[in-house]
Amino acid sequence: MLDIEAIQKILPQRYPFLMIDRVVELEPGKKVVALKNVSFNEGFFGGHFPGKPVMPGALIIEAMAQSAILLTYSPQEAAANKSLSYYLTSVKVRFLNPVFPGDQLEITVEPVKLITGAGIASVVVEAQGKEVCRGEISFSIKSE
Amino acid sequence: MQDLETDIKNIIAEIIEKDSSEITSDKKFFEDLGMDSMMALEIMAAIEKKYKITIPEEKLTKLTTLKETVAVAQEYLANKKA
Repeated sequence: MLDIEAIQKILPQRYPFLMIDRVVELEPGKKVVALKNVSFNEGFFGGHFPGKPVMPGALIIEAMAQSAILLTYSPQEAAANKSLSYYLTSVKVRFLNPVFPGDQLEITVEPVKLITGAGIASVVVEAQGKEVCRGEISFSIKSE
Repeated sequence: MQDLETDIKNIIAEIIEKDSSEITSDKKFFEDLGMDSMMALEIMAAIEKKYKITIPEEKLTKLTTLKETVAVAQEYLANKKA
């Protein structure tokens, strides 16, 4: 399990764009299960939509992508202190149910194909056991 | 053999979002069809899934034409049967 401090040691994203609160399962290269708590205090609910708060699908994709970064985490590379940049290259997802304030997203990521410097992952997002989104994302990783 | 080529052509067409008639045996993916390395990876993964084979990542650079892609798929399909 990773708490928010441990997550920040791996992910480069920060407030207001860190879309994962806790990691409950981390097997690099095999499986990641991450949690994102959705609160009405999130800034985007102010505009999306006034009086009808719904979490933007684009941000659910961001939570999926950040969870996928964790899937590629390698302690060896981290120890080598390499600076890595992550690029999302393709997204194929279906949104099944809307996400509201108070929901807890459970994001499960598994590899379809991981190679050096790139990957494709399948992702399922659930809120309280109900599927809200599923799909596949592709990404590349550049070392700078 | 012909079926394999047709199936792979359809996989490629879907990923690069072009009509399958545009994908001929020797047309170069990158120069002629506007593909990039991430699309090549997606094609590799789609072929692996369809034929339940595993293609090692060093073969990725071989996926440059339909002909080459079919040859790579055949190689690993043959390994699977053996």
